[in-house]
Amino acid sequence: MKSFKYLSMLLVLMLLLTACGQAKETASPVAAPPDTTTVEVPAGTETSADKSQLQVAYSWPVYIDPAVGSDEASSSALVNMYDTLIFPTSDGNVIPWLAESWETSDDGLTLIFHLRQGVQFHDGSELQASDVVYSFNRLKTIGEGYGYLYTSVASATTVDDYTVEFIQNEASGLFLPSLVRLFILNEDLVRANTAAEGAYGEAGDYGKTWLLINDAGSGPYQVTEFQLEEYLLMEKYTGWWGEFVENAPDQVRFVATTEAATIRTLMSSGEIDISDAWQSIESLENLDELDGVSIAALPTFSEFYFMMNTRIPPTDDINCRRAMAYAFDYDTAISLEWPGTQQSKGPVPAALGGHNPDVFVFSRDLAKAAEELAQCQYADSIAVYPVQIHWVSEVPDEEKFALLFQANMAEIGIPVEVFSTPWLSVVENTGAQETSPHIVTIYVSADLPEAGPMLKQRYHSSSAATWSQNEWLLDETLDAAIDDALSTIDTTERFAKYAELQSQLVDLSPSLFVYDQVQKNAYQDYIDWPAVRGETSALLGYFYFAPEISINK
Amino acid sequence: MSVIFLAKRLVHSVFVLLGLSIVIFLIARIVPGDPVRLAVGARAPQWVVDNMREHMHLNEPLHIQYGYWLRDALQGDFGISLVTRRGVAKDIREFLPATFELALYSLFISVTGALSFGIISARYKDRWADNVIRIFSYLGVVTPSFVFAIIFLLIFAFVLDWLPAIGRLSNGLTLPPRVTGMVTIDALLIGDFNVFWDAFKHIIMPALSLAMGSMAQEARITRASMADNLTKDYIASARALGVSESLVMRRFLLKPSLIPTVSILGLDFAAGMGNAFLVELIFNWPGLSRYGMNAMLSKDLNAISAVILTFGVVFVVVNICVDIVVGQLDPRIRLSTAKGD
Repeated sequence: MKSFKYLSMLLVLMLLLTACGQAKETASPVAAPPDTTTVEVPAGTETSADKSQLQVAYSWPVYIDPAVGSDEASSSALVNMYDTLIFPTSDGNVIPWLAESWETSDDGLTLIFHLRQGVQFHDGSELQASDVVYSFNRLKTIGEGYGYLYTSVASATTVDDYTVEFIQNEASGLFLPSLVRLFILNEDLVRANTAAEGAYGEAGDYGKTWLLINDAGSGPYQVTEFQLEEYLLMEKYTGWWGEFVENAPDQVRFVATTEAATIRTLMSSGEIDISDAWQSIESLENLDELDGVSIAALPTFSEFYFMMNTRIPPTDDINCRRAMAYAFDYDTAISLEWPGTQQSKGPVPAALGGHNPDVFVFSRDLAKAAEELAQCQYADSIAVYPVQIHWVSEVPDEEKFALLFQANMAEIGIPVEVFSTPWLSVVENTGAQETSPHIVTIYVSADLPEAGPMLKQRYHSSSAATWSQNEWLLDETLDAAIDDALSTIDTTERFAKYAELQSQLVDLSPSLFVYDQVQKNAYQDYIDWPAVRGETSALLGYFYFAPEISINK
Repeated sequence: MSVIFLAKRLVHSVFVLLGLSIVIFLIARIVPGDPVRLAVGARAPQWVVDNMREHMHLNEPLHIQYGYWLRDALQGDFGISLVTRRGVAKDIREFLPATFELALYSLFISVTGALSFGIISARYKDRWADNVIRIFSYLGVVTPSFVFAIIFLLIFAFVLDWLPAIGRLSNGLTLPPRVTGMVTIDALLIGDFNVFWDAFKHIIMPALSLAMGSMAQEARITRASMADNLTKDYIASARALGVSESLVMRRFLLKPSLIPTVSILGLDFAAGMGNAFLVELIFNWPGLSRYGMNAMLSKDLNAISAVILTFGVVFVVVNICVDIVVGQLDPRIRLSTAKGD
């Protein structure tokens, strides 16, 4: 009889679980706790209990301090909280935003911006030129996040309350587009929340501690709650000067989860509207089978490279590298990716301004591969130079490309050893010439919508000893040509120089240009997402610019 | 359990934790990669990296670095996390209660389940109930907790939609004022049963996932211990004297049989806190274990040291508690420690 007692206990437990499922949600919000992660919502915010919410999965961490964040999740949050002087468009150009107009001096060194009047921060105070100057100085002093974009800018000063002047050390055609990363902070609010002690001398901590979980922006959404590692909740700022599309979300909630089973469950129950961009192909196929869920394939400014070390044999020989470029099966590689993926045309993604569409594109040709290999100085001894290819362990999808490369090279007699390497080790190994392997497979993303910065971060000597260049070109002539192109003010002339550089790099074949990455997100069909239609800039973060997204449940 | 014994254990614990801190401090720094470069990104100017390295004393010899770290740690300052960009001590205060709450519920499920199944198994040794429990115990022991997590998630959230999939509270609810940091308890403290119930539903699946392995293991240990004690003379004597079977089980058999179970239970509790990272990841549970895992992946030196030290402290404290409980269960142990130790 005793066993019935225990069985009864188990039954009660099961009933309890069942009750969980049957219980209706009756709980109502309680008073906000005195928790530092909960932010008071100022005036100008909707108070309706029944608010529409856009829920987006993201990969933790996210930094909402404009002087710290620069990754995808952080950029996605920042573009919703802060305004910038200009705004990027889907065709790679910029349009006036906070700045209604601007002028450039004849020598290209000075730019003067005239600000829109009447723009209010989330606390109701007016955005003025001094806020722009403060935001610029803060970003440059801290140096993290997107701060590196402004190292060539000498100063920013106020001309009057609505006019700002920037002076560059050297003329650069990139300064204007880089301003899409200068997020304007409310100076008074940040100063009021700055700790006296910090790493920045008289500026104390420059408000970094406070800005970890609070915003000081004028953008369309403002932070209401930030539970680290869990979620970030933003609410529509009705005092925003811009326009929201019809049915734009009242709230945006970034949920910190990328686990495949969790994402599938949440997409199925409608608790996530847009998945993160890091789901595997298999996971995406499963998500695609859910009712009411589609997969968006969004063009990006990111390219998948096989970076070849040009300083060690046999990849130091151009003919060996070209043999590999001809022997690799690009079509099969692309068939392993999501439909819509395209082979890269040269060293920069095709979506970038200044991309050269006429650049030579390698395709699989074993006869040419054999010809190139015959001219390689290691042709007769290639067996003693096994090519080591390292793929990043944390990105399992890369393995199949490394294995495909191994199989392809075997066809022309080049031995290949495949290694799974943790990201930390990749960063460490590529930090020195002697430890950089023959080949590393890496995705690299451009921070600005032009080819020039991508060329610099990939092939300029200043990027050697970082993970973004395993090639170790160290070519002073190439460096000078890249710098010259970047300092060219005239866009047409600048783009022509980019095109020439791309041709040179293809001739040099320091990398296999595999494919332009397509960002894959599962999303609910009731979401009207301009990014799917190609109406949003592919610049990191702007796919999630919520005022242009509508929820049509 | 003498005061001297406890004092000795505490002194030993200090040395254990000191040794642990040295080992962890060294291991964290052997892992490849410049933590500062990783934190600020490949394109940050070198002066930013240099300043931060200097601020963190990373250019000093290791023993000097450890000296700085120990000095600050003794004052409760574990430095700044390179991931969250704020004080590690603050992070631990925020994330530890979530993992502790999870481990507490897991412990409750383990104890309840292990004792129930262990007693049934022993009582009906080699009969069908024992055989069924044995099979489930084996499955529980060999199956990792994250597999249970995924299975429960798919069954109770994806298919049946009975339980919430992620987080500590449903979207739209606000956390109760922080007293313990454990949401269910804090909700009860302010008498908000709606929030308590919602938080309770959120914790069921992660706690159950975490409990399955230890519950299965402890059920087997309880069963073995009880079956062993069943053959003792004093049980036969009690039965011969006509003591009822339920009294024999409760008073004479269960108490001595619990000693190995309690010993392993304490270890499981502490180990469960450290091993919860995958369960926390799957259920988006903002706990310390997941925080520690992220710290390791990002080579967040200060956070790695502090998290492992925190788990070390939990482990030590739980072990002392286990010794006390075991001493209460078995007077022989209590007396021997009082005399010998």
